[in-house]
Amino acid sequence: MWSIEEPRRPPERSLFADTPIGLLSALAAAALTTLVAVRVGALPEAAMRVVGVATAHGALLATALAWAGAGARAGLMAVGLLAVAAAAASLHPAGALVYAGVPLWLIRGARAGDLGALGLARPVPWAAVSIGVAIGGFLGGHLLVSAARTFGVQLRLDALDVVLVAAAYDVGANVPAAETFFRGALFNRAQRRWSRSVALAMSTAAYGVRYLLDPLLPKSVELVVGAVFYLTLLSAANCWLFWRSGSLLPGAAAALVFFGAYRLLGPR
Amino acid sequence: MKRPTLTRGRLLPAGLVLAFAAVTALLVIEESDGVSLYRHAYLVPVLAATLLRGATGGTAAAGTAVLLLGPVVLPEIERSGLTPGALEGLVTLGIVGLVGTLGGALATRVRRMRARYETILATQRALAAAGPLELALARLRAVLAARLAVSDVGFVVRDGDRLVVSGGASVAPGSIAAEVLATGTPVFVPDAAGGPRPRRVFVTPLLAGGTAIGALAVERVGELGADERTALEGLGAYIGLALENARLTSRQRRFAEELEAKVASATRRLEELDRAKSSFVAIASHELRTPLTALQGFSELLVARRLPHEEVTRLAGIMRGEARRLGRMVNDLLDLSRIERGLPPTLRRAPVAVEAVIAGVADVFRRGNATHPIIVGYEAGLPHVDAAADALERILTNLVSNAMKYSPPGHLVRIRARAAARGGAVEIEVEDQGEGISQSELARIFEPYYRAPEAEGSARGTGIGLAVVKSLVEAHGGWIRVESARGIGTRALFSLPSVS
Repeated sequence: MWSIEEPRRPPERSLFADTPIGLLSALAAAALTTLVAVRVGALPEAAMRVVGVATAHGALLATALAWAGAGARAGLMAVGLLAVAAAAASLHPAGALVYAGVPLWLIRGARAGDLGALGLARPVPWAAVSIGVAIGGFLGGHLLVSAARTFGVQLRLDALDVVLVAAAYDVGANVPAAETFFRGALFNRAQRRWSRSVALAMSTAAYGVRYLLDPLLPKSVELVVGAVFYLTLLSAANCWLFWRSGSLLPGAAAALVFFGAYRLLGPR
Repeated sequence: MKRPTLTRGRLLPAGLVLAFAAVTALLVIEESDGVSLYRHAYLVPVLAATLLRGATGGTAAAGTAVLLLGPVVLPEIERSGLTPGALEGLVTLGIVGLVGTLGGALATRVRRMRARYETILATQRALAAAGPLELALARLRAVLAARLAVSDVGFVVRDGDRLVVSGGASVAPGSIAAEVLATGTPVFVPDAAGGPRPRRVFVTPLLAGGTAIGALAVERVGELGADERTALEGLGAYIGLALENARLTSRQRRFAEELEAKVASATRRLEELDRAKSSFVAIASHELRTPLTALQGFSELLVARRLPHEEVTRLAGIMRGEARRLGRMVNDLLDLSRIERGLPPTLRRAPVAVEAVIAGVADVFRRGNATHPIIVGYEAGLPHVDAAADALERILTNLVSNAMKYSPPGHLVRIRARAAARGGAVEIEVEDQGEGISQSELARIFEPYYRAPEAEGSARGTGIGLAVVKSLVEAHGGWIRVESARGIGTRALFSLPSVS
């Protein structure tokens, strides 16, 4: 037994050890510069969206990769892929397909065995993934029914191109960045220092804050409350899935299905 | 230990999903505004989950019910405000939520209490069975691994100077178990191995009388909450006490067995002694009567008849020999009496020439009984011994008498004396060429009344001679030992302090 036969390991380093401060600072500077440039009219509005996607999701993904020991180059690569995908999507709806590059690149890293620390390693826990799909489906379905019955919101089946672009964004940026950081990095690190409940609360709170700060979230009170409600449930469920399976994929599946349903919501 | 999986025990979740779906379908079909009585049917799956899965199941089921009922109740509030119907729906939401969460918490609490009670009972059973500590710990380890649903469980227990380890080869210096043994305080490590899932480790002392007599180590891939750790601390204290009790009971049992064996041995010895004394009384009576009969017969003959001078001299010589023999026996009996009372024999010590005493004893035996040739040898310049001359004479007489009794007629009896190699004493030995004494009997020949079984039929004797000899030698501050080899003979060697 480890506790009897092995000497005690030195205590864990700080929760935020290995954070790529330099890269994050550079991303913040780029976002600020772009914001100023857009405000003064030097750059078009679309440039802010491209830089916003690359810096916000890139920061989360790069930090998760750095915490997993994947190295600084991996972080830069992630930011670069996100920037290219966002730029392509802003040029033409079909350009959103470039978002597929991020998950494909992550899959390649997982197959090479570089991302095991983030919960991206073989074998794929298919049973847990199917439970994740069910949870995401339930929450997404509930969201659709509640929104339809409460606010009279209808499904946006007439603007499938918009839905598909948003879905590509979820597949390539939103979900991978959020799940790798909030589950694979933050929850994973926290649960190795404190109890599962503390780690879940920390990860869920940070997850909620991330979406509340998202400029794409509508700012009406009802929608913010609804977002907090569903995102809290989704985050708690994903933490539980990660804790039980040790894999990031079930939570990613749940989030993809949930956000897929969310993208179907159209205006009242 | 099986690793928990997400799909184990699928029947209950499937049943719950069906129940929730059925109730929701009924509400949808009725198109109610939340007032429908069907809403109360959500309590059925919530209660089932609460009772069967405790806090986790109850909370999850209650959450699901609230989520399903919410879209039915909340739009009514959105449309018409807080109507009585909407209020009823909200109350139902609250009841379902409370039943699930509070009921689940209570069910979990009861289940944990029961599990703890059962674990303590199982622990008691595992430790109650007899056997060495290693076996008891192995049994306990198997019981706890099954009951605590952990990945691994182990023990380290102090047993005198050694550490008994169950669940590992040895205690590594710097390990958590070593730390707990040294400090006596529990240690929790949230993640030991750094694998895909955290491996929680908790090591708690086994306490007995306030000191750590060992450590209980538990490792689990998964959560090991504060409540469980507190329970494990209690279990550690209980196991510590139980181990200490088992140890004391074992010691008590061993002590009782030893005592029983000692009492049985002492009883056997007393019985032997009693038999020996009875035998001694019979033999001593016979031995005393023989010289008395001779004295009585010859003295009556001398009184009744007028015999020639030579015949009178011969009979007087025989009577003197028998009287001496009688005297020796009486002296032996008196000495034995003193030995049994714990008193040393009375000695009037003075410088004694060993050669003269040996020669005198040899002469007496040569004259009185010429069945065995006696050879005497001395070292030149032998110092005098500080001894009572009559005691030395009795020692030698007893040893020579034994040598002659237990060796066939015609075999040599040798008496030798020499100064001890280290000085300060004279060593005297009496050697015969008899059948010898077995090694098992040698240990007992100095016991009073003891006679070797093979000697009982072959030679006369009371069984007190060597006991008296030993007490006389030791009263002088000397020592005596007997060496013997079957078929070769026996040698009795004793020492007496010389005059400085």
